[in-house]
Amino acid sequence: MKATERLGKVIDNIEKVIIGKREIAELSLVALLSHGHVLLEDVPGVGKTMLVRALAKSVGADFKRIQFTPDLLPSDVVGVSIYNPKDMQFHFRPGPIMGNIVLADEINRTSPKTQSALLEAMEEASVTTDGVTMQIPKPFFVMATQNPIEYEGTYPLPEAQLDRFLLRVKMGYPTREEEIEVLTRSQSIPPIEELESVLTLEELLKLQEEVRTIRVDDTIRTYIVELATQTRRDPYVYLGVSPRGSIALMKAAQAYAMLKGRDYVTPDDVQHLAKFVFGHRIMLRSEARYDGITAEELTERIIAKTRVPVQRLVNQ
Amino acid sequence: MTSIRKNKVFMGLLYILVFLLLSEWLRPVIELTATGHHRLFLAFVALGLVMAFFDVPWWITGPLKLFYILWFIVYVYTGNLFFTAESLAFVVEQASISLSALFSQDWQATTDVFRTVLFFALLWMAIYLIHYWVSFRLSIFLFYLLTVIFVAVLDTFSPYSGDAAIVRIMVIGLLLAGLLHLARWMERHGAAAKTDKLLVFSIPLLLLLVSSTAFAFYLPKADPIWPDPVPYITSYSGKGGVGQGGVGRIGYGVDDSQLGGSFVSDDTTVFRAEAEEGQYWKVEVKDVYTTKGWELSEEDADEQLYQNGDEVTTDFPPAGEERSSALVDMQLPFPFVLYPYGTASFLMEETLDYRYDPVQQRFDTLQENTAFEPEVYEVFYSEPSYSLTALRETDTQQLAELPPEYDRYLQLPDELPDRVGELAEEIAAGSDTVYGQAQAVERYFGTNGFEYSQSDIAVPAEDQDYVDQFLFETQRGYCDNFSTSMVVLLRSLDIPARWVKGFNEGEVIDTVDGYDVYEVTNNNAHSWVEAYMPGVGWMMFEPTIGFTGASSIDFDLEIDTSEPEEEEMPDRPEPEPEAQPEQPDTGAGADAGPTAGERFLAFVSEQAGKLIAATIGLLLFAFMLFKIRKKWMPKVLIPYYRRKEADAETFEKAYLRLLKQLELYGIKRSPGQTLRSYAEYVDSFYGTKEMTELTAAYEKSVYGGDAQSVDWPKLKESWENLINRTSG
Repeated sequence: MKATERLGKVIDNIEKVIIGKREIAELSLVALLSHGHVLLEDVPGVGKTMLVRALAKSVGADFKRIQFTPDLLPSDVVGVSIYNPKDMQFHFRPGPIMGNIVLADEINRTSPKTQSALLEAMEEASVTTDGVTMQIPKPFFVMATQNPIEYEGTYPLPEAQLDRFLLRVKMGYPTREEEIEVLTRSQSIPPIEELESVLTLEELLKLQEEVRTIRVDDTIRTYIVELATQTRRDPYVYLGVSPRGSIALMKAAQAYAMLKGRDYVTPDDVQHLAKFVFGHRIMLRSEARYDGITAEELTERIIAKTRVPVQRLVNQ
Repeated sequence: MTSIRKNKVFMGLLYILVFLLLSEWLRPVIELTATGHHRLFLAFVALGLVMAFFDVPWWITGPLKLFYILWFIVYVYTGNLFFTAESLAFVVEQASISLSALFSQDWQATTDVFRTVLFFALLWMAIYLIHYWVSFRLSIFLFYLLTVIFVAVLDTFSPYSGDAAIVRIMVIGLLLAGLLHLARWMERHGAAAKTDKLLVFSIPLLLLLVSSTAFAFYLPKADPIWPDPVPYITSYSGKGGVGQGGVGRIGYGVDDSQLGGSFVSDDTTVFRAEAEEGQYWKVEVKDVYTTKGWELSEEDADEQLYQNGDEVTTDFPPAGEERSSALVDMQLPFPFVLYPYGTASFLMEETLDYRYDPVQQRFDTLQENTAFEPEVYEVFYSEPSYSLTALRETDTQQLAELPPEYDRYLQLPDELPDRVGELAEEIAAGSDTVYGQAQAVERYFGTNGFEYSQSDIAVPAEDQDYVDQFLFETQRGYCDNFSTSMVVLLRSLDIPARWVKGFNEGEVIDTVDGYDVYEVTNNNAHSWVEAYMPGVGWMMFEPTIGFTGASSIDFDLEIDTSEPEEEEMPDRPEPEPEAQPEQPDTGAGADAGPTAGERFLAFVSEQAGKLIAATIGLLLFAFMLFKIRKKWMPKVLIPYYRRKEADAETFEKAYLRLLKQLELYGIKRSPGQTLRSYAEYVDSFYGTKEMTELTAAYEKSVYGGDAQSVDWPKLKESWENLINRTSG
C-alpha cells in the first residue's frame, strides 16, 4: 500500500468521529509526520480532544492527556522520582508526557514554569530529572490547546515558545448540517470507542523517515524564503518569521506533499500551509490590530503578492 | 548551485579576456582623440579589474581608484611623479575652476583636467558593468556585440583602422562568450567546477575557435559594397573647403589612382577669370594608366624656371603674335597657376618663379624655393589653331617612326582585356589618318548608348579594368570615364595620348570692361584628352558627352587652309553651346576622382526618402504584427514546437509559451497564483481538462525535478488544442 493511501485511511478514520474537519485532520497528520507539534486554538467543546484521541487510536499510539491548571507543577508533567523504602532507592515514575500522543489541554492556564517544562520536552523529545535523561518513546506528538477567549488567570505563551509549535490551527464551529450529523451520531454509542487502528507505530515511524526524502526544488526553497522575507518587511509586522519558521514551512510542505501522493513539493503545498505555519510566528504591530488584520490574513496577502516560481532556476 | 564563480583560475582567465576586450575600446578612443598616455589608462582598467576579481571591498577600491586618478592628473598635467604642494594646489585650482564653470553652466570653461576626470569616471563605470556581467550574469554577449559594432563604425567613419582589431575582438569575444556559456551550462547542470574538467570542456571550444578563425582568415573576402569614406571625412575635417573638389586633390597631391564611384556636387568657387571668351584651364597631365586610374611616370625631365613675363614653352605654342589676356582671381589657395591652351606668359605683382615640369605639365609657383599660393595673376595666351590639311595628312604610318620619348604616352597595362583593343580597331576602321581615327574615337561615345551621370557609378573590382568596365558593362559615367577610355583606346591604336586635368570654362556671372567674368567652381573640375598628331603636334580632345570643349570651338573656326571642308562641319556641331554645359557643370566636380565619402553620402542622400519610408514602413509593419500576435502566433508556434526535439526541455518551453498566449488571450494569472489553481481556472473557462493535465506534467518536471517523466508527444495534442483556442 502506498503512503498516501495509508494516510488517507487514517484521515477517513478520524472523519468517522470528527465531522467536517478533514482539513484539521490532515494538518494534524502533517505535523505528526514532520516531527512537529500542533497548537489548537479554539473555544471548548468543538472537538479538540476528540480529534486527538481519534488520531491516537487510528495510529495505535499511546494516548496521554494532561489537563493544565494553575497549580500544576513541572514534575506533574515530566514525572517524579519516588523513594522506595524496600530497596532504599529512588525510582522514576514517568509523568504523562511519556506517551506517543499527548494532549496538553488549556496550556495557557498553567504557570510559565510548567509550560516551559512541557515545551522543553517537546523540543528535545526527552526529559531530564535528577540528572537522568529519559527518552520519550517515538513517535512523540503533542497537541496543545488553548482557549483564546478567557484571559483571566491565564499565562499567554511567549512568542519564543509559540515558535516550538509547527502549526497553529483553529478548529472553528461545524456547519449547520455537520452539527446535525454530530447530534445524530452521538445518540448511539460514542463512535470513538469503535475506532480501530489503521496504521501501526512502526509504519508511522517509517513514513516519518520517508517524508524527509520528498523533493524540495530550489525554486520552492527560494519561494519559501521569499515569503518569510516578506513577513519581515511588512509594515504591519513587528517581528517577522524566523528562519526556524522557514524550515518549519518546508518540512510541513514535504509532509503535505506526501499526504497528497506526490514525491515533490509544489507552490500549492506551500501556499496551503503558510498561514498555519506563519500565523503564530508573526508579531503584529498595534496598527494591524486597529485595522482588524490578523496574522493569517497578512500571510494570505503576502502570498497573493509574492510571485510564484513557475520556471526552472537558471544562472543562480 | 556549485559555484564555478569560485574557480579562481577560470574567472581569472575571463578577467584577462575582458581586459583585452576593454583595451580594444580604449585604443581607438585614445587614438582618435589624440589623448596620449594609453598605458596609464590601461593600467587603470587593469587595476579596476584586478580589484573586482579579488572582491576587494568598495571602501578600499574607491579611494584607491580616486587616488590613481589624482596621481594621473598630477603626473600628466604638472609633470610631477609625486604629490608636491604645488601639484596639489594645481589640482585644487582645477577643481575650483571646473566646479564654478559647472555651476555657472559655462561648459566651454571646463578644463582638460575635468574632461580627463570624466573619462576616468566613464572607464570606472565600464569596468563595473563588465564585472557585473561576467561575475553575476555570466553573460557578455551584449557587450561583445557592442564592441564589434563600435570598432566597425569607427573603422568605417573615422581614420581609425580596425582591420586587426576586429579580428582580435572576434577571437577574444568568441572565446569569452564560449567560456561564459560553458560556465552557465555547468552551473545549470550542477557540474563540479574543477579546473581539469573545465579544461576538458574547453577543448572543443578552442578547437572550434581556432579552426573557424583560421578558416575565416584564409577564405577569400568579398569587396566592400561601399567604398571607404575615410578620405572624405579626413578631407572635411582636415583641409577645410579645399578638400572636396577634385582640384583640391590635384593641388595637394592626392592621387587619381583609384577612379570611379559617385560623387556629390560642390559649388565652392575656385577662381574667377576675366577673359574675352571661355576656355578650358589646364592644371596638369598624367601618363600612366594602371587599370584603376592614373599615375605620373617617374621620368625625369628638365624643369624650366620662368619669371614674370617670360615667354613659356609648352606643347601648345601660341597661335600668333597677338595675345589675349585673362585676369585670374584665385578664391582657393593652390601652389600653381592654371593656364589656358596657347599660354605665352604670366604676370603677377609678386616676384616669383614659375617652375614648369614637362612631364606633369604643371606651372608650380615658387617664392624662394617654397610653394607660393598666388592670389591674382594675369595670363597672356593665344589659342592654338590647327591646319586641317596638315591633320588630313597625318598618316598612321608615321606613328611607327615616332621618337622613343613618345613611348610613355603609349603605355598600357598588361592586364588590359583584349576586347578593348579590338573595339579600338573596330572604331578606327574606315579612317586612315591619325586625326580621323582620333575623331572617330572621340565621337564614339556620343552615338553608342553611353550615358552621362554622376551617381551610381561603379568602382572597378580588384580584377576589373576601369576602362573595360565602362566600355562594355556600365556605359555610364562622367568625364573621368570618358577621357580615360579615350586615352586607352587611342593608345591601343598606337596614337600617343595623355590624360589632362583642369577646369572647364565655368559660368559667366558679370561683364567688366567688355570682358566676361567667369566663375569657376569645384563643379567645373574636369578631365579631358590630349593626343599627338604626327607632323602637327599635340591636340586636345573632348570625349565627354555634353561638353563642348574650349579648344574645339577655336579648332573649328580657325582652319588654317580655310578649305571648304564640308566634312568638317558636322565635326563639332553636336554641342549646343549654352544649354548643355549647364547640366554637366555640376558633374564636373567628379573630375579628379570623387572621394569615396562623396559616393557614400550621395547614395544616402539620393535614397534618403526611400530609406526613411522603408524604415517607417517596416516599423509600422512590425508594430502591426506585434499588435495582432495573438492571432498568428499559434500558427507559428505549433509547427515550430512540432519540429523540435521531443524532450522535457521543449515541453517546458512550450508550456511557458502557452502561459504567455493565455495571458495575451486575456486569462491573467496574478503573481501569487499557483500554476495549479490557474490551470483549474483555465480549464473551467474552456470546459477542458487539458490545462490541468499539462500543468501536472510541468510541475512534476520542474518542481519534481523529474524531466524523464514528461511524455511530450502525448501531451502535444493537449497543448496544441489549448494554443489554438488562444487565437480565437
